[in-house]
Amino acid sequence: MRAIKGVLLTCDSAVKQILLTMNEKDPFVIEDLDDYHLVIKADEEYRVRRELEAELEKNTYSLETN
Amino acid sequence: MPVQSLQNTDVIVPQHTPHPLLPFLQSQSQTTLTRLYQRPSSCLSVFRLLGPIERQLIMNLLWLESALSVATISAWVLPEGKDAYDSALAVMTGLHIAQNSAVKLALNSTFKSSLRQAITGGGSTGSFGVPTDKDGKRQSANIENLDAYALERWETILHYMVSSGQGQNPTKPSQGVLYLLQRSGLMNNAHGPALQITSSGFQFLLHSPHDQLWNLLLQYLHMAEERQMDLVEVLSFLFMLSTMDLGREYSTEPLSETQKAMLEDLRDYGLVWQRKTSSKRFSPTRLATTLTSSSPPLPSSHSTGGSHTADGTGAVALSSGAAQQGFIVLETNYRIYAYTDNPLQTAVLNLFITMKYRFPNLVVGMLTRESVRKALGNGISADQIISYLTTHAHPQMRKNNPLLPVTVQDQIRLWELERNRLKSAEGYLYKDFASQADYEYVLAYAKQLDVVLWENAGKRCFFGTLEGHANVRGFIERRTGSV
Repeated sequence: MRAIKGVLLTCDSAVKQILLTMNEKDPFVIEDLDDYHLVIKADEEYRVRRELEAELEKNTYSLETN
Repeated sequence: MPVQSLQNTDVIVPQHTPHPLLPFLQSQSQTTLTRLYQRPSSCLSVFRLLGPIERQLIMNLLWLESALSVATISAWVLPEGKDAYDSALAVMTGLHIAQNSAVKLALNSTFKSSLRQAITGGGSTGSFGVPTDKDGKRQSANIENLDAYALERWETILHYMVSSGQGQNPTKPSQGVLYLLQRSGLMNNAHGPALQITSSGFQFLLHSPHDQLWNLLLQYLHMAEERQMDLVEVLSFLFMLSTMDLGREYSTEPLSETQKAMLEDLRDYGLVWQRKTSSKRFSPTRLATTLTSSSPPLPSSHSTGGSHTADGTGAVALSSGAAQQGFIVLETNYRIYAYTDNPLQTAVLNLFITMKYRFPNLVVGMLTRESVRKALGNGISADQIISYLTTHAHPQMRKNNPLLPVTVQDQIRLWELERNRLKSAEGYLYKDFASQADYEYVLAYAKQLDVVLWENAGKRCFFGTLEGHANVRGFIERRTGSV
C-alpha cells in the first residue's frame, strides 16, 4: 500500500486533454485516474493553472476589438 | 434605443425571506429578550420584522388572557400548511415570543402587554421617543433636508468603498465608519496602508440599501457587545428610531448614556441628524424610520439633488419615484443603457460593464467577457450581477418576460462556469493495496470519516483529503501492525 501526496484535479475531458499535452512538455502529472480526474504534484498547481488559463484564452474571441 | 415613458407597472413583491436581524435576536438569551420586550416600540418593531404567518399567529393570541391548547390551533392549519406553521412556531419560540409546551401555546406575558400597549397607546414609558416642542426661533429640519443629508452620508460610505480599488480619492467617511467597514470584512488593508474593498465588499455593493443598512447595523451590534455596551439599550434605540416620525424632532434628554453615545455613530451613518453635536434634540432620517418597514430607505437613489435640473426638454423624464424603481435597460446585444447621473451608480455599474459613452443623464456600456470576468475575479457572482440588473431594471424593461434577455443571462452564467473548469483539492492518493479486501476495508473506514474525494474499485485506489490523512494513515498502521 502506498500513499502519495498530491492535488486532485477535477475537470472536463477537453481540459484534461490540454493538461496532458502540457504534461508532455513539462511533466507534472502523478497519476491519470479517469476521464475527469488527474493527480498532479502539489507544488505545480499554480503554474498549471496559469498555463491552462493562457491556453484557454487563445481560444476565445472577443467583441471588444472594434 | 429605449423609450423613456414612465409607467408604474411593477409592484414590489414583499419578501418572505427571514429578516437578517432575527437570527441575531434568536442567539440572545431569554433575559435579554425579555428586557427588550419591556419596551412597546421594540415589540412593535420585532412584530414588523416577522413573516406573515408569525404575525397572524401573534395577532390571534394577543388578546387572549389564557393559553390556548395546541390541539385547537392545529385545527386551524391545513395539512399542506403544516411545515410553514411549524417553522413559524419555531421562530416564535426561538425569539421567546411564544412559550411553547406540548399542550399549551401562549405569548410571552411581557411581549403581550407591551405589544398591546404599542397598539392601543397609553402609558408613559417614552419608548417611542419624546418629541420636542416646536422651537420658535429656529426652523426644524424639513424632510427634504433630512433626505439629502441621509443620502449624502450613505453614498459617501458606498462611494468610498467602490472607488477604493481604483486609486481615486473620494471623501473619506469618519473613523468610526471606516472601522466598521474593516470589522465587517467589507474592506481591509492587506495591501498597504490604504483600505481596499474585499470581495464581500463588492457583493455588499450590489445589495439593496435596506440589506446594506442591516448588514452594517448587525456588525455594529456585534461590536456593541465587545464595547461592553448594553445590547438591550442599543437594540431598543434602533427600534425606537424605526418607529419615529420622519421630519420630527426628538429630545435627547430621556436617552441613556449608551444611547447618547450611539447618536454620534448613527449620525455618521446618516440615520440621525443633529444641528450641532451638542444639540439637545435630534431628528431621525428616512434611513432610520424605515428600518423595520418595507418602504424604501432612501428617497431617491438616483440624484443627490441640486444637480438635477430637468426642464421641459424631456431629456430627463425620470422622477425620483421612477429612479427608485430602476434605471437600467439591457438589450440582447449586451448593451446597457443606464439612465443615471449619480456617480455612485455609475461606479457600481463600472464593476461589471465596459463603459462606452457617458452623457449627462445616461451611461452606455456593454457587458463583455472581460468586464464580467473582472467582476467575477473580484468575487462577485454571476447571480449577483443578474439580480442587480433585475432589481434596477428600467420600468420599460418590466414589459419583457423574462425581464432580462435570456441570452445575456445565460452568457453571464457561462462566463462564470468557464472560470471554474478546473477544481482542485489537496490530499493523498492511496494505491497499490495488497488485496481487494484490504482496499475495501480501508476505503470503508475513510468513507466513514467522509474524506474520500474519488475512488475506483477497478484500479484499487482512492483519493482522500489532506485533513483525513492522519487518521487514515493511523488506521492502516494499526492494521498492519496487528497482522
